Amino acid sequence: MPRGDFLGSLEQIVMLAVMRLGADAYGMTVRREIEERTGREISIGAVYATLERLEAKGYVSSFTGEPTAERGGRAKRHFEIEAAGHEALNASQNALKNMSEGLSRRWKRA
Amino acid sequence: MSLSTLAASQWILARLMPPAQAEALIGDLLEERRLRLQAGSHVSVAGWYWRQLASSVPVLLWASMRRGAWLVSVVTAVASFIAAVGIMLVLQSALWPMTTSSFAHDVIMVLSFAAAAATCGCVAASIRLGAARLLAFLMFAAVCAEIATTQGGALWYKGLFLVLGPLATIAGAALSGRRRRVRL
Repeated sequence: MPRGDFLGSLEQIVMLAVMRLGADAYGMTVRREIEERTGREISIGAVYATLERLEAKGYVSSFTGEPTAERGGRAKRHFEIEAAGHEALNASQNALKNMSEGLSRRWKRA
Repeated sequence: MSLSTLAASQWILARLMPPAQAEALIGDLLEERRLRLQAGSHVSVAGWYWRQLASSVPVLLWASMRRGAWLVSVVTAVASFIAAVGIMLVLQSALWPMTTSSFAHDVIMVLSFAAAAATCGCVAASIRLGAARLLAFLMFAAVCAEIATTQGGALWYKGLFLVLGPLATIAGAALSGRRRRVRL
């Protein structure tokens, strides 16, 4: 990951959802996982736009599954995290951890 | 929610993304809608569906602009429109002096307009299919503006241009698609 190129908060959330879901990570499950864990309603368009951006950066890769009847004969697009994605996520999480270190008391006071 | 409104919403989404991505996204929406219908009412599911669509469109529109798809299509369509006007003027100025008959002049006007629209539709579609669609719309809008701002002339003659502009552009675009298939 180039220096200074940290992941945005939505990018981190989407990548963590993909990581959690493993082999079952596709648009709908990623969207539902985020909604369930964060309590924040997110559009399927936002999920796809973020995944497209992450794929362009080489952090995520995708492959097309088999079409199914419950999807109107449309195929799923599965996502998985690449090695560069793991590295980027680690760097972003570490940066956040380092920045927030020792600030828990101040947070509690506020 | 009727089948036609579902199809219309899917048509909108398909315009904003590459085909493979659009297929997957629409499939996801349909799958979740189906799951929600098993647990909730039709009204609440329809509300969820339209909320998803309304919040997805701006994000996907922005993503498609970042991808450059829209910009290239718009620039190609506008450039093709300017080229079509140029071709039409050149053809008319070359053919006009050949005759003094007003009927022949009308025929020249119609033919040069159709030829310019078809040629530019073909070129625009070979660059980007969306550009040819946009060009057809520009042709229609330009003829509407022309009709609204000029007085006189037979209505059928004006109507002919209104239909011929988009039709010739689409015919040119179809020709480009056919040539591409033959090459493949």
